[in-house]
Amino acid sequence: GVLSAGEARNRLRWADGKTIKNEVDLQVLHLLGPKTEADLEKKTKAAKARPAMVEKQKVAVVNGEVGTETRSLLEQLRGEALKFHKPGENYKTEGYVVTPNTMALLKQHLAVTGGQVRTRFPPEPNGILHIGHAKAINFNFGYAKANGGVCFLRYDDTNPEKEEEKYFTAIREMVEWLGYQPYAVTHASDYFDQLYTWALELIRRGQAYVCHQKVEEIKGHNPPPSPWRDRPVEESLLLFEDMRKGKFGEGEATLRMKLVMEDGKMDPVAYRVKFTPHHRTGDKWCIYPTYDYTHCLCDSIEHITHSLCTKEFQARRSSYFWLCNALDVYCPVQWEYGRLNLLYTVVSKRKIIRLVETGAVRDWDDPRLFTLTALRRRGFPPEAINNFCARVGVTVAQATMEPHLLEACAREVLNEQAPRAMAVLEPLKVTITNFPAPKALEVLVPNFPADESRGFHKVPFQSTIYIEETDFREEVDKGYKRLAPGQPVGLRHAGYVVSVQNIIKDASGHVIELEVTCTKSDVAEKPKAFIHWVSEPLACEVRLYERLFLHKNPEDPAEVPGGFLSDLNPDSLRVVHNALVDNSVLSTRPFDKFQFERLGYFSVDPDSTEGKLVFNRTVTLKEDPGKA
Amino acid sequence: AFQENEIKLLTAEIEHLKNFGCLGVSSSLEGLRDENAKLKYRLNFLRKSLQEERSKTAKSMLNINSCLQEIFGAAIQAAYPDLENPPLVVTPSQQPKFGDYQCNSAMGITQILLKTKEQKVSPREIAEKISKNIPPNECIEKVEIAGPGFINVHLRKDFVSKQLSSLLINGVQPPAIGKRKKVVVDFSSPNIAKEMHVGHLRSTIIGESMCRLFEFAGYDVLRLNHLGDWGTQFGMLIAHLQDKFPDYLTVSPPIGDLQAFYKESKRRFDTEEEFKKRAYQCVVLLQSKNPDFIKAWELICDVSRKEFQKIYNCLDITLIERGESFYHEMMKDIVKEFEDKGFVQVDDGRKIVFVPGFPVPLTIMKSDGGYTYDTSDLAALKHRLCEEKADILIYVVDSGQSVHLQTVFAAGQMIGWYDPKVTRVAHAAFGVVLGEDKKKFKTRSGDTVRLIDLLEEGLKRAMDKLKDKERDKVLTPEELKAAQTSVAFGCIKYADLSHNRLNDYVFSFDKMLDDRGNTAAYLLYAFTRIRAIARLASIDDQMLRKAAREEVLILDHEKEWKLGKCILRFPEILQKILEDLLLHTLCDYLYELATTFTEFYDNCYCVEKDRQSGQIVKVNMWRLLLCEATATVMAKGFDILGIKPVQRM
Repeated sequence: GVLSAGEARNRLRWADGKTIKNEVDLQVLHLLGPKTEADLEKKTKAAKARPAMVEKQKVAVVNGEVGTETRSLLEQLRGEALKFHKPGENYKTEGYVVTPNTMALLKQHLAVTGGQVRTRFPPEPNGILHIGHAKAINFNFGYAKANGGVCFLRYDDTNPEKEEEKYFTAIREMVEWLGYQPYAVTHASDYFDQLYTWALELIRRGQAYVCHQKVEEIKGHNPPPSPWRDRPVEESLLLFEDMRKGKFGEGEATLRMKLVMEDGKMDPVAYRVKFTPHHRTGDKWCIYPTYDYTHCLCDSIEHITHSLCTKEFQARRSSYFWLCNALDVYCPVQWEYGRLNLLYTVVSKRKIIRLVETGAVRDWDDPRLFTLTALRRRGFPPEAINNFCARVGVTVAQATMEPHLLEACAREVLNEQAPRAMAVLEPLKVTITNFPAPKALEVLVPNFPADESRGFHKVPFQSTIYIEETDFREEVDKGYKRLAPGQPVGLRHAGYVVSVQNIIKDASGHVIELEVTCTKSDVAEKPKAFIHWVSEPLACEVRLYERLFLHKNPEDPAEVPGGFLSDLNPDSLRVVHNALVDNSVLSTRPFDKFQFERLGYFSVDPDSTEGKLVFNRTVTLKEDPGKA
Repeated sequence: AFQENEIKLLTAEIEHLKNFGCLGVSSSLEGLRDENAKLKYRLNFLRKSLQEERSKTAKSMLNINSCLQEIFGAAIQAAYPDLENPPLVVTPSQQPKFGDYQCNSAMGITQILLKTKEQKVSPREIAEKISKNIPPNECIEKVEIAGPGFINVHLRKDFVSKQLSSLLINGVQPPAIGKRKKVVVDFSSPNIAKEMHVGHLRSTIIGESMCRLFEFAGYDVLRLNHLGDWGTQFGMLIAHLQDKFPDYLTVSPPIGDLQAFYKESKRRFDTEEEFKKRAYQCVVLLQSKNPDFIKAWELICDVSRKEFQKIYNCLDITLIERGESFYHEMMKDIVKEFEDKGFVQVDDGRKIVFVPGFPVPLTIMKSDGGYTYDTSDLAALKHRLCEEKADILIYVVDSGQSVHLQTVFAAGQMIGWYDPKVTRVAHAAFGVVLGEDKKKFKTRSGDTVRLIDLLEEGLKRAMDKLKDKERDKVLTPEELKAAQTSVAFGCIKYADLSHNRLNDYVFSFDKMLDDRGNTAAYLLYAFTRIRAIARLASIDDQMLRKAAREEVLILDHEKEWKLGKCILRFPEILQKILEDLLLHTLCDYLYELATTFTEFYDNCYCVEKDRQSGQIVKVNMWRLLLCEATATVMAKGFDILGIKPVQRM
């Protein structure tokens, strides 16, 4: 399934030639990649329509370094950067189906929207958003924003069995957290009446029928065609009415549309019976529309110009166009983009539930997960997530990323946002025997050393201080630059250099305290290194995180035969219960972020209490060389 | 840190156990809970849908009684969710002080609670609990608890008024019956070559009326005349025909009096040995479908058919002829089917079938290989069930056939042709017709009464009555003739239908033509009078229709209220008859309606006139609408009974 660059250029008429070349090269490079990719390619090729979008998806961007995008999100999305159609010019899109009514409908559409770009983010309210959704949010909201349009937040709540209020609020919260404001918050269920009326119309037009095949019968490859396909319209109308009235049990009847989908699937189901109350419509309905039936019609109702979705929905594109046209309603254009996948994690709802149930993680927002709430809790700024999405590129390429690219994005933002503080994870008590003042001195620490105009904060400095145990060694070897007998070290921001005077050990020979002397740094010889310290500190808990899984693809049975639960990293969480932090952080609130000098970026966890702060390490200051 | 973790894990475990998260039981329990929730949801949904269908009254009239039953059913269910099949009794109240309807379930529930739960609760207390649980509805104004625990229901005036308006706008509509079902009615069914007598009269009248009711209610009705056209009597008839009219194949024989022809051949059959032998041969040849013999058979049947048709025309009866001969070919298979399934015993050369619960077996084949009524009735039953796919099958046949028919039905169930839970097979039995001497109805000379003679006498008596009342001086000759047939045949039918069919009934022209009491004569007069009210006030149909749409029917007067409610009981009456097939209920209702109307008319001025000049001063339109509603319901009732009212009489 690999195209030559030349072939590709012919078929990807609008694409940038250089990009194609890069991508084709890349693809060749990754030809020996996982088999599933190859399978996908074959399928997409069979679809034929709009080769441009399709072929681009072949490129799997693995590993952040290669082929990441450098333009900002808005730059990528602005104007004709993506070669999307202009509002109202849907018919110019390759593969768009033009009917005798299309032009009139597009005219009406333009009258409604005034030519504005309209997109929507349509999550199912049955789980928490994860990093993959961040791409969808960025793509949809970003495309609208970049082009002066609007974006709807539409809950796709057609399936009554799964919906819970907490998901609705959490989704909206996350969208807003990422910095986007929905033009309107809508629900697929808002349109149930209209959808039902259209279903009747579809039957009347001979395009849908009531079927009694069992779910098992129409599953799998080449299921037998429905023997009810050609039943009279009147009969289907009556039976559909019976479905609505509760006369059929679940699974005894469905409404099916008369069409064949790209993947050969016959007559997708439009309505099925479910004796379950709905979150919003209560007990009004016992038939509920399916995704295939609902999605395009909701898009049509909201006059969406660009219906953006991940490429799994490509097989449903023809049904999308077909249904709008079968009802002679405005037909938006569906554009697909590649999913964003992350290595070393799982994002599916069911798997996260398993992780929570088995105690592998604390909850949905456990900072080791990659749900958006988890990322927020861990301290990732929303800008970092958006930048990550921009870096991955809002192109149509499916991207499978390593988490460290996301971490790099976080560092970039936090470097600008997180003020400095000092914390000691493994404290070693140090007494300065010649401390120059009877009381504590005040030390001014710049919030951002690179830009002192952003202010200072004060920390106390007195005769007792604490340093990291690891910043002292009795033996010095080559390359060790910090405190040791005969090797003084500077104290960051304090303006003093300390030298070991006396080492106090416990019975087992373990160093428990140092006695040192200090010298003002402007008179002392310049030390080889400066270390962080705290004095009159606050006790706090610090949680340090590693990857949750040991393997890149914990869900891949080839990689992890024992299942993802067998792949847990035993060291994914280290809790430091008695860390010390300088008291500049005293009045903080959850999610406040700091750079603890030399340790990394930290964020206040909501578990914090008045007496005890809890910090999550978001990322270390530098990429751990062992990780890359 | 380790201990803290341990504590957390243990707490989680406890939570898990609290939520029944233990063992494998949980998943099946969870499944059952889910299923239960779904079933409850569906039940609620079906109830709602039912309500929705009911309230779509455009095509059906609301049965107020069943609405109330539903409301009280829900109330009882809410009050006593644990009771299985609690008694649900709702009836119209007999006296206005007891409200409009009564729910009398509390007494029954007391008994059940005592028996099944050993709880002693007074019916009054139960009635109160039920009343508190009455769901919101559009028909009940208020309820009161009276006596030991009767719940008296007062209907809302605006609700009744709305129903009456809808009746006037949409016309009389049947009660809602749900799915359109197929009904086969077997009635009339005389024998070829024999005269129809009063016994056939009952079957014909009742059957016709039943068909009309089912048709009105929206069923798909097949009216079958199960003629006796295939018996051994045809042997002697054909033999006699050959002797008397040797050229019968080319020249149509003038058999005017088939009765006499039959008697003659019978006499010869009994006396002439040679003739008897030939008669048997003729049977064999007929049954082997020899064309000449078929022709002879057809000739004889035609003569009979013409006679029957005269009577059917008089009485306005519609039927499809499907006699025993129709099933002849199927009988062989019926015998085989019973044999194959091992139900057949051979007794003295006969093939018999014992049906559990019935002492007398069915004989499905005689020792000479011939078939019997049992065989043909089984064949007809199977054909009606399996080919016609009847959902309801009604035999309007005299009570004397009861055991025979019940045995046949039971045999049909035994062999698996139908399930009585799904398909209703009913014998609408009726008693015999008696003379005024309470003995079997005979002529003075002791012969059975020929139906045609009876009808003619009816016509004569009706004319006498009309002339007694000097109607011949008021009506044109055409109107008089119309009134005569309307009264004559209407009275004969009504007299039959107004009696509980299960009882024997006394045939009396004097009684049926009396224009007082529950007779067709009375109702027909009442009806023409009601129709005349609007006409005399110069209000035509169009004005009435306009008023029906615009005027609110005021039911403030006690008699207006009584009449309004009475009118709306029509669907309730019809639904009851659809269940018990007792048409006299409809006659009783029409009589009650007519008398209730009279009460209303005597108390409430419809049209106010100046005493001196006779000029119309005021027309109370809503009362004219009540007249109109009464008349349309009566007209529909007449239509179902097969009575044709006339404009003037």
